[in-house]
Amino acid sequence: MRILFTSVLAVGFLVCVTPVMAHHSAAAAYDETKRVEAQGTVTKVLVKNPHSWVFLESSDNGQKIQWQIEMGGVTSMAWTKDGLPIGTPVKVTGNPSRAPGTHGLTGAAFAKMDGTPLGPRAGRGEYTPR
Amino acid sequence: MIRESLKGAYMRIWIVTCAVLLTVINGRALHSLKAQSAPAVAAVPDLSGVWDGSRRSHPTNSATVPWARTVPEGTILPDGTPADKNYVSNFPVLNERALAFQKIFDEPISPKYDCQPSTPPALEFDPFNMELVQWPDRVLLRYEKDDQLRTVWLDGRQPTAHDFGIQGFSVGHYESNALLVETTNYVFDITGFDDYNGIPSSQQKKVSERYWRNGDQLKATVTVEDPMFLRQPASYTMRWLPAPKGYKLKAYDCDPEAARLSVQFIPPRYK
Repeated sequence: MRILFTSVLAVGFLVCVTPVMAHHSAAAAYDETKRVEAQGTVTKVLVKNPHSWVFLESSDNGQKIQWQIEMGGVTSMAWTKDGLPIGTPVKVTGNPSRAPGTHGLTGAAFAKMDGTPLGPRAGRGEYTPR
Repeated sequence: MIRESLKGAYMRIWIVTCAVLLTVINGRALHSLKAQSAPAVAAVPDLSGVWDGSRRSHPTNSATVPWARTVPEGTILPDGTPADKNYVSNFPVLNERALAFQKIFDEPISPKYDCQPSTPPALEFDPFNMELVQWPDRVLLRYEKDDQLRTVWLDGRQPTAHDFGIQGFSVGHYESNALLVETTNYVFDITGFDDYNGIPSSQQKKVSERYWRNGDQLKATVTVEDPMFLRQPASYTMRWLPAPKGYKLKAYDCDPEAARLSVQFIPPRYK
């Protein structure tokens, strides 16, 4: 699946990213001044503490890429494990990870492939560590 | 002869009367002395309950919570009140050793990425609830965050050389309608003072806490001393609100895989 990689200023987007759960600072791991979009298929959902994770598999010119999306912990993550079935194709926008060559996101907003917001928070964004 | 006998009898009566009077007076004096020297039994305030540690009660752990040099006017402080324009910094005055540690601090070394339990203040300021249980000889502080249990001993025991631990060793007593806790015997913790600003704490750390009720709120003033890293004690006051009725603490069950995953996204500072 093609990766759509858009980098934009976060100011407009940050207002829709609400849930906050401290454990570590987002600034160390993610660039909060940027938003990127990834498209892929859900391969794994970890609903855990301190943070939950959603894994997407994408492909770019035949090369497989695994996106790792950091979410809230068990009590603050709005998704249940069954709420995002394995194999679901999704679009996700979020703050990209800082380390070169990595594919991490946080503060993610989920949508169906047609752009319809997806999830209990209806695309308002999930977890942003502070 | 009879006069002599009467005189002797009067004398004996007088002596016995004096003795009785002296005994009574002494007894009262002794009783009074005993009453004065008996230890006063302090009233035990009702602090028990499940307390809400979410953002509803206080701000969440961050680079400016609970320690901040400056905050914008109106910022909600850990005690639930808004900061005014005369906010006074409570950020610790670090010694050279602490500054050196802070300078070389590398985020991935933080033990929280391997599920090592956090200690106050991180333990209190991550948004999870806490339960306080009062027993006659101890107080139990049970935190959802990291499944931690702190025991505050009220029976006079003191830590031994075998009592070092991540949460230290806590003793306490009630005074002036408050619970006073003193904790020592911590182990060295590279983020034991502040896990956002990379300030460690040493085995010489001493944490003094005062818990009291303010209406339906639980409040606490926490003061930290650590001559290894701080030039002077640092302090904050915080509050908890009652948790929803019937709320039971949930297991945290920190997952090492989930805890460490984000470290790969931090540009490495050292190779």
